[in-house]
Amino acid sequence: MARTFVVERRAYALTGPTLVAMALLTVVPIVVVISRAASAEGRAIAGSLLGSSQFHQILGRTGIWTVVSVVGAMVIGFAAALILQSGHVRWPGLWRGILMVPWIIPGVVGATIWKWGYSSTYGLLNHALVSLGLIDQPVQWLSNPEIVLYALAAVQVWSTAPFVMLLLGAALTSIPGERYEAARLDGAHAVGLFRHITLPAVNATAAIATLMLVTFALNAFTIIWVSTAGGPVGASTILPVELYRAFQNGDDTTVAVIACVQLLISAVFALIYVRSIKAGDE
Amino acid sequence: MTAVTAPRRRKLRQPGTRIVVWLGLAVILLWTLAPITTMVFTSFKPATEIFTIPPTLLPDEWTLDNYVTVFTASSMPEALRNSIVVGLIVALLTLTLGTSAGYALARLRFRGARSISLFILLGQMIPLTVLLLALFQMITAIGFHDTVLGVAFAHLVITLPLVTWMIRNQIVAIPYELEEAAMIDGCSRMDAVLYAVLPVAGPGLAAAGMFAFLQSWHEFVLASVLTRSGQSRTAPIALTEFSSEFDVDWGATMAASVVLTVPLVIAFVALQRYLVNGLTGGAVKG
Repeated sequence: MARTFVVERRAYALTGPTLVAMALLTVVPIVVVISRAASAEGRAIAGSLLGSSQFHQILGRTGIWTVVSVVGAMVIGFAAALILQSGHVRWPGLWRGILMVPWIIPGVVGATIWKWGYSSTYGLLNHALVSLGLIDQPVQWLSNPEIVLYALAAVQVWSTAPFVMLLLGAALTSIPGERYEAARLDGAHAVGLFRHITLPAVNATAAIATLMLVTFALNAFTIIWVSTAGGPVGASTILPVELYRAFQNGDDTTVAVIACVQLLISAVFALIYVRSIKAGDE
Repeated sequence: MTAVTAPRRRKLRQPGTRIVVWLGLAVILLWTLAPITTMVFTSFKPATEIFTIPPTLLPDEWTLDNYVTVFTASSMPEALRNSIVVGLIVALLTLTLGTSAGYALARLRFRGARSISLFILLGQMIPLTVLLLALFQMITAIGFHDTVLGVAFAHLVITLPLVTWMIRNQIVAIPYELEEAAMIDGCSRMDAVLYAVLPVAGPGLAAAGMFAFLQSWHEFVLASVLTRSGQSRTAPIALTEFSSEFDVDWGATMAASVVLTVPLVIAFVALQRYLVNGLTGGAVKG
């Protein structure tokens, strides 16, 4: 008994500093935000804000943004991982390194260079599309309210797809080659191999990658803020951007209310995360 | 054995699949590299060439003017220095805290270990904007607003969860017998960890520290509210201020973007193996 006690004391001493730091940086701010939102003023603001159609639009946009960015990154990242793993490509390590760059680049830099590429008069994207005859005249990627959210989601996809490639690539490597060979001997074809061997093997990793992407998308701020600051006319304003704007205006109570909404949404995904870890333990 | 190798040979001989795979790779490479090459080439264009219609990818005349502007006539050098200082503080604090906690979570059996790991890991799921207001108020209250220390302290919320977990996984992978052997030879547990475990974990710890540095180097939203002047403003914030400073000098902006990116790419190439293992280990094993 005495020995366990000593070990426990030592364990708490070793983990203590990290726990205190994390508590100061997360628990305290969350308590501050919740208590502010729960005050009389907070409840009044929450009442008018949560019921407003403008806020519903922001929620809707946040949903579209999340779905488009997550699906896009999963598709491109998985495709890249499959291509590099297929055995048909020489120097997979080199290509993998190059394909990782958008993920390594700081968000500010990614947003800045895409903003330049999207420019309607000087941008290479419009120029290339017009030259190829795919469009008649330049698209206003960042100033057309109908397009801007999707154009920015493309930047988010660009910067997060390599993360998917990395995770799924690791999962694909761990599939023993004999499994494919055995199935091929049994007469399975490419589609069958993919459905019955590849997909089941990467399922768990893909679920975690999706969860992480959802978190990235829901927390996304830099790309949108640097490119459009949420405009034009709020067409690219999602929850974190709206919160930041309230912060800049000094509307601390509004900040707290929006933060609580973000917390609620994150809590749902955090719960899924915790359960997936539990399942992985067995 | 012959039956097993036959299908493999057939796979290599499918020209159709090969073409599709290479085509797919080409498309993904174009998608990945187009913005990056634009950034690099634009940074070498003279001011007169940047606003040409139709736009070109390559500069007609190559120049280093934009880099000269960034390093001599902008706030970038100071901001880069701030970013390095913040990054080093973050890496040092994260490694100190993360190694002690990571060691305990990897080696010691104690009540609450599971809840503690969950608590630390869940930190990465909280949106930074949720913490923005309170962190700003707390750091201002202790007088650290607009200081590199204030920014570094806030950045710990991003680095601690993942780095602690990376270190824990690395220590789990080191055989416990190594420590035991040292202790049988008369070392205290502390000595065993210092002289037997840490040297083996060394490269992995360096990668974890580098990872913390990189995350701090990236960070935008917290730094944007916790800094006000040149004495603490980090490089990502300085990059956005370029536009007003130079009347949207795209050449200099692109040069500064390259300057911000190159150290990251070098660090990544050097540490790729460790980072990939650490990240996928944390994510796949949970």
